[in-house]
Amino acid sequence: MITASHLTRTFGARVAVEDATFDVKPGEIFGLLGPNGAGKTTTLRMLAGLIAPSSGEATVAGIRLSRETIDQVRARIGFLTEAPGLWDRLTVRQNLMVYARLHQLANPSRIVGQALERFGLQDRGDSLGAELSKGLKQRVALARALLHDPPVVLLDEPTSGLDPQSARLVRDLILDLRRRGHAVVLSTHNLYEAERVADRVGVLRGRFLAVASPADLRQRLFGSRALVRVAGEASGYADVIAACGGRDVLVDGDSLRFALDELTHAMPGIVRALVAAGAAVVEVTTEDAPLEDVYFTLVEGSEPAESEAR
Amino acid sequence: MVPARVTALVGKELAELARNKSALLPVLAVALVSMVLPFFIGLAVPRITGDRLSSDADLVQALAKAGEELPGALGLPDESAVQAFVFHRFLTLLLLVPVTGAITFAGHSLVGEKLGRSLEPLLATPITTFELLIGKVIGALIPSLAVMVFTFAIYLTGIGLLAEPGVLGVMITPRTLLLVFGLGPLASLVALQVGVLVSARVNDPRTAQQFGALLILPLTGLFMAQMTGIFVLTTGMMLLLLAGLAVLWGLLLALGVKLFDRETILTRWR
Repeated sequence: MITASHLTRTFGARVAVEDATFDVKPGEIFGLLGPNGAGKTTTLRMLAGLIAPSSGEATVAGIRLSRETIDQVRARIGFLTEAPGLWDRLTVRQNLMVYARLHQLANPSRIVGQALERFGLQDRGDSLGAELSKGLKQRVALARALLHDPPVVLLDEPTSGLDPQSARLVRDLILDLRRRGHAVVLSTHNLYEAERVADRVGVLRGRFLAVASPADLRQRLFGSRALVRVAGEASGYADVIAACGGRDVLVDGDSLRFALDELTHAMPGIVRALVAAGAAVVEVTTEDAPLEDVYFTLVEGSEPAESEAR
Repeated sequence: MVPARVTALVGKELAELARNKSALLPVLAVALVSMVLPFFIGLAVPRITGDRLSSDADLVQALAKAGEELPGALGLPDESAVQAFVFHRFLTLLLLVPVTGAITFAGHSLVGEKLGRSLEPLLATPITTFELLIGKVIGALIPSLAVMVFTFAIYLTGIGLLAEPGVLGVMITPRTLLLVFGLGPLASLVALQVGVLVSARVNDPRTAQQFGALLILPLTGLFMAQMTGIFVLTTGMMLLLLAGLAVLWGLLLALGVKLFDRETILTRWR
């Protein structure tokens, strides 16, 4: 649905995005993670046809981005910009009607009515844009971006500045997009959000530092970690763990924490060895490094992007 | 061009204006002044001073020169003829109404969208630059012209009610209609296009309005020249002027489409 190949964008001497290559399939949510100035918005704008790449190419909804195809591409994407950008003096219904007409939708009134219902805005149709809370504005903006049922949805910081309840509502709406088969690119600072909704994430800092699922990134950076709790003191069993391939073994009272490659295959052998050594195994669990750790390891380990350095 | 997209944008502009009536104040103020001034000079001053207009040698001489452009006036009694001349000359001042409207509305046009952060989602739709600029211009032209036509109607009604008998009849000529319904809209269009063009390149509505205001100068000059008799805008000259303004508008529109750069607007408006 989206294929970006070596996308690069420079503004004068400043490189905003360098060599971005990724793809997003229908029904997939791809998270763009990165610090301010990392190139997330520029990447989304390139995919939306608002900014031309300096080099590289992209195919969006089956159409290769070019000056000639830009209007076709814009008809097939829904772009939620960082600011909701509603017309404050128009009602919610009027805001949506203008966009329904710009997209030349048949029976715009019916479609707007459906959108209001889908996004829980039925009783807000006649409210002015200026009267809405930030969360409601964001919901209207999301409804607006999806009026024409675009196969590709680009979301720039969709929950930024929202209260937890509104953020959760917006996240639920994003998850619904996956169920409906949309290809979604989501730019966010919110690592919790990325972990909750994104199937894969791209950690961006001018260039992509990594592209993978959150689980794969953890595995790649930290390996798998496990915790084994035994009845009584655990210190006597650290050698058993090490002998079975466990690394970085930490003992804390009745608990043993360790890293392990191929955790699923190796764990039964470790449990057998512990039992053979006389341990009474009470609990065996895996321990995942939070995405936050993955993010900071990647970002702090990278050189600042040129855009940030300047 | 897809007309449905242009009408969607025009409808939006009008709906926004309907909820922002204070934006009409400058144009209504100009309308009021340009309407009241000729009645003050043509009717109130003679009554206050006791001197009839037809006793002013300069005015009578100017009327004689302008006979060609207002032939009906020559058949009227002296006082009526001079009144007709004054009211007719002040029609040029009415042109300031649509031009002021254009400047006011166009100044807010794209800059307003930028400041409200509503331009980026709009640019992400299939609307073309041409459609966007045309929609913005028409959306501002309609209220400007509506105020002008309303003002013109009140002007004529006032003449019919307050001026000497026969003055209204000689005022309504093809030349008058050409001035109001030809020159007015075209001058307004040019002012709008300048406003939108500048509005797309700056971040402040006032800057756009200041550029647009430059168009008031030639109109004021035209009015003064008409009043003093230095220059008389004949029907032939007016047709030439209309053609010139139409060409200028077309060029400004083409220039606007060429200069309107979505990338620059999105990346340099901070």
